[in-house]
Amino acid sequence: MKKSFLDYIIRNRLPVTLFVVVASFAVTYYATSAARDGVGYTPSQPINFSHKLHAGDMKIDCQYCHIGVEKTRFATVPAVATCMNCHTVARKDKPEIIKLTKYYREDKPIPWKRIHKVPDYAYFNHSVHVNKGIECTACHGEVANMEKVGQMNSFTMGSCLNCHRNAHDKLPELKNKIKPGPEYCSACHR
Amino acid sequence: MSENKSDNINSSSSTQTDVNYWRSFEDLYKNPELIEARNHEFKNGTTDDFDPLQLSSISRRKFLALLGASAALAGTACTDYRDKGEIVPYNVKPEEITIGKPNFYASTCTVCPNACGILIRTREGRPIKVDGNPENPVNKGKICAKGQANILNLYDPERLSVPLKKNDTRFDEISWKEADNYIIKVLNEADDKEIVIITHTIISPTTLKVLEEFKQKYPTTKIYSYELFNDSIKNSAWQKCYGSGNYPLLKWNEAKVIVSLESDFLGVENNRIETARLFTEGRNVDTKKFNRLYVIESSLSLTGLNSDYRLRLRPEAQYEFVMSMINELKNKGAININTDTSSFSLNSFALKYNLKKETLNQLVTDLISNKGKAIIDAGNSLPENVHIAVNLLNAALGNSNLYRTDAAKNELLKLSSTKDIEELVSQMNDGKVAAVIHFDCNPVYHFAKDLGYEDALKKVGAIISLTEKESETSFVSNYVLPINHNFEAWGDAQTRSNIISLQQPVIAPLKNTRQKEAILLTWIDGKAEAFSEKLYYDYLMKNWETSIYPTLNSVLDFKQFWLGALHDGIIYTNEITNNPTAINSNAVTLLKNEISKTPEGYTVVLKESYQIGDGRLAGNGWLQELPHPISKITWDNYAAVSEKTCKTLGVKNNDVVEVIIEGRKISLPVFMQAGTADNVISIELGYGREHSGTVASGVGFNANILLSKNNFHNSLIYSNVSINKTGDIYELASSQEHYSFDDERTKDLAQKRHIIQEGTVAGYIKNPKFIKEKQHENLQSVYEPHQYNGVKWGMAIDLNKCTGCGDCVAACNVENNIPIVGKDQVLKSREMQWLRIDRYYSGTADDPNVSIQPMLCQHCDQAPCENVCPVAATSHSPDGLNQMVYNRCVGTRYCSNNCPYKVRRFNFFNFRDHFKNAYQESPIFALMQNPEVTVRSRGVMEKCTFCVQRISEAKAEATYNQRPLKGSDVTTACQDTCSTNAIYFGDINNKESEFYKYRNHELGYYVLEELNIKPNVTYIAKLRNINLEEV
Repeated sequence: MKKSFLDYIIRNRLPVTLFVVVASFAVTYYATSAARDGVGYTPSQPINFSHKLHAGDMKIDCQYCHIGVEKTRFATVPAVATCMNCHTVARKDKPEIIKLTKYYREDKPIPWKRIHKVPDYAYFNHSVHVNKGIECTACHGEVANMEKVGQMNSFTMGSCLNCHRNAHDKLPELKNKIKPGPEYCSACHR
Repeated sequence: MSENKSDNINSSSSTQTDVNYWRSFEDLYKNPELIEARNHEFKNGTTDDFDPLQLSSISRRKFLALLGASAALAGTACTDYRDKGEIVPYNVKPEEITIGKPNFYASTCTVCPNACGILIRTREGRPIKVDGNPENPVNKGKICAKGQANILNLYDPERLSVPLKKNDTRFDEISWKEADNYIIKVLNEADDKEIVIITHTIISPTTLKVLEEFKQKYPTTKIYSYELFNDSIKNSAWQKCYGSGNYPLLKWNEAKVIVSLESDFLGVENNRIETARLFTEGRNVDTKKFNRLYVIESSLSLTGLNSDYRLRLRPEAQYEFVMSMINELKNKGAININTDTSSFSLNSFALKYNLKKETLNQLVTDLISNKGKAIIDAGNSLPENVHIAVNLLNAALGNSNLYRTDAAKNELLKLSSTKDIEELVSQMNDGKVAAVIHFDCNPVYHFAKDLGYEDALKKVGAIISLTEKESETSFVSNYVLPINHNFEAWGDAQTRSNIISLQQPVIAPLKNTRQKEAILLTWIDGKAEAFSEKLYYDYLMKNWETSIYPTLNSVLDFKQFWLGALHDGIIYTNEITNNPTAINSNAVTLLKNEISKTPEGYTVVLKESYQIGDGRLAGNGWLQELPHPISKITWDNYAAVSEKTCKTLGVKNNDVVEVIIEGRKISLPVFMQAGTADNVISIELGYGREHSGTVASGVGFNANILLSKNNFHNSLIYSNVSINKTGDIYELASSQEHYSFDDERTKDLAQKRHIIQEGTVAGYIKNPKFIKEKQHENLQSVYEPHQYNGVKWGMAIDLNKCTGCGDCVAACNVENNIPIVGKDQVLKSREMQWLRIDRYYSGTADDPNVSIQPMLCQHCDQAPCENVCPVAATSHSPDGLNQMVYNRCVGTRYCSNNCPYKVRRFNFFNFRDHFKNAYQESPIFALMQNPEVTVRSRGVMEKCTFCVQRISEAKAEATYNQRPLKGSDVTTACQDTCSTNAIYFGDINNKESEFYKYRNHELGYYVLEELNIKPNVTYIAKLRNINLEEV
């Protein structure tokens, strides 16, 4: 009798318990991994563009290229023509610029890999944040130091609210200038 | 084995002597085949395909191993980053485009001949919304439902995309070059044979010039223009009275008394955007000045619905009515008309047609006391003698000073008469016509069948149709040429003497279509190669430079002037409208002093559809689903008859009847319409289209069959009609319950529950607080009130200005990406419109009082929907909005169940793929959706958001400009389109704003206020201008 009870534990209870433990660990690990939030996502781009060179070393203002950021909800990725403002002259012989020129000549847009994304049902507005004095780096990290841009922060609703609720702690430099961000649904969802 | 088994069964059944149960005749007669078949488990051949040798060689173990391996692989793959797609910027960004910001272009709407000025909103080059052009003095920034919904026509996946050539019974795609070459050859070889161009009303001076040049090049060309609904009778009567000119525009806003005889000036006649605005200017709760509207009509129209006094009268009796009025006014010494009217008498007329004597006396008194400030307006469908009598009466009462002199209607090309068309048909039959060019029109559908137009076409060598979509006419054509949509085309329009408006394209042609005028210009040139995209643009600009610009004495040079005109969409001409001269005294001789025979039997009144016009817009699902402003029926037309006539005929709603006029028959369902004159059958035209695409074809019934070329009155009113019950049933889809009038439980329910609160002008002047006195004061609430410290959004709707037209519903549809659900779903009450116009009747079925009320989410402070949502998908915002979060909604529908206003809409399907052959899910519609509003999918609830996307936009704009948000920064889509400005929107907390005045108006009330849910939509009670103090 005693033997068969042990037998039952080893044969049935133990595997089930182990399975539940392993499965919950696996699911939790998967659901909370950085990859799920996209933090650290650094895809290769069709053209090896360096923000470090342009925004960092040469100190070109973000808005020289991302022109919509003050005016609309999109920061906007620059048109090929914007690159060609300089590169019709500058570094024409470099392989990446030759690639760029080819896109321009063939009247084709560049299919940049998207790095930062909020879901379609969230209507994030760049202009409101920038016009309130919030720096680009607050969400996007020190892009000016990145050879290859990747996602630095989580872009989940929790991350948005974390800042909206604790704006004064997160952005101490704007303490006297801004109120905490809105927390109601239609501020982003409509 | 199975054989043995079945043998046993067989033998056992044969040995038993049971009662003979049988399931089929084969069974009963012991068909041997059946007995044989029963012996096998499967029918012969069913299992023939099964062959174990052909099965996959993978064993169970191998399969499980593969399963495990793929699961492990999938697990490791998931740890990688998800691909987020691409961002594809422009190669060279067009200068005018800022991504995320709309651009607006002034243009002209060509949906109907009124040619209102429009402002098209585009996003990244795609038109997504239409508003009225505020610079246009006619429609002043407003646009009707048809103009709003026109955007759907642009993206219609069934628009023709290439030229077609008929090959026996099918159409083959051909190139433009091939089509042009063939047609040019036909035109050149016409010799002395006629070339015919048929068109709708010409509103564009430059199009007219093209047609004239076409005539010069091909001298045998004749141009015919027609319009199913027109004011030609009114104009010919005017010419008989005044010698020349057309019926003038009226100063509706200055009239104290308005008498409409069968005239639906607030509905389908003339430019109702302008008329409704002017009319409601005369119904002002602030100045307490109200005009008084009498409507004498046969079937309840939108104008009748807005009347203070309404009389039912069959249309044949209108002449007798006007003459009796003249006689009465003469007898009272009020007017002097030099004609004998002695055989008419108002008393006996009232008796004969069972009209309320008091109302008629009231009308006479009002006309006498408001001499020079009254307008009598006869409907376009009435015969000429009524119009002449009305013109005389207006002149005699001094009302002609209400004829407008600042502007007049402009007619570029006179419409062809029925006689002209008859001659054309006989020419065609004689083989004297070489080619017929249908210039964006559909005569096969519109022309009376007894003209024999369709048969005559068979005698014509070349039938060419220029059209956006296939139609009855294109179906019988040899060559079908696709043309640009309104928003892809250049043009101009002059419908008024004092203005010319410009039409500019806002998107390149989506398909291989061409500007219709450019097609003609190519043929004029005589070479297919002459065509270019800029052909008509250059022509238009040149025409403006040479014929319009020089007349304006502009100080600008032409280029500047042209760009300015394009920007504004409109220019003013220097044309002066002449005052109408004195009325021709001989006109009185046209009035006969004899009462025509009392009409007996049934009369059919044919009317223009409120939603789809003359059928031109039948392919537009948004309009088909827009509820009829009176009956609330969607997706159909019907025979509207009175309750009494229904009883006489022994029919009820949805019974199919056959209507016969001199052998012309149509079967259609009956709808019992309150307020219809007895023995009158009112039918709307525009339905029953054939060969016209998925949406339009087979919707409703083609009542054009009833039209006749020779009719005693005119083409829209027919006497001596017979009508039979067929016994069939056809279900009509109505979006609102039709309460019975004699049921005590539902009778006047809206009034009893104070959903509708009304008063009279006299009562209001005596006691301005009469609405507020009824209100519940200081109701206790178990909830803590929300705090609203900043802007709090609210709406006020002035029911004195609302005419119930439904334009706001269409505007809301376009702005908020609202799907079309189709008739089957409307029958299940699953329509998705966020805004509806409720219509309530009170009084009797014969003479109902109609009340209308736009109903939308009331954004209650204590919203009952919010506290029942199990997932908090609907909640309250600090600016007073009741928010709906689609991505959180799980579709329990508790909120809808708990909403006392029933304004929540549930996506029972992804209606974009449920509607008719998934037609709406065509990828092209993705271009049309407003990118600022989520496109909802199946299983979520939705409702009016107070245009939260516009509020967000205004907030971002205010932040950009570093200033606080104001209530006046935001207008809702419904408010923008409302031609009478009945809707106000703004900040409830801003005491200085204009909106505050209406929010706290003494006539303001909340619907279902006693529930204490504190709605944020204020209704301003309707006042009826009747001679009583109580309704």
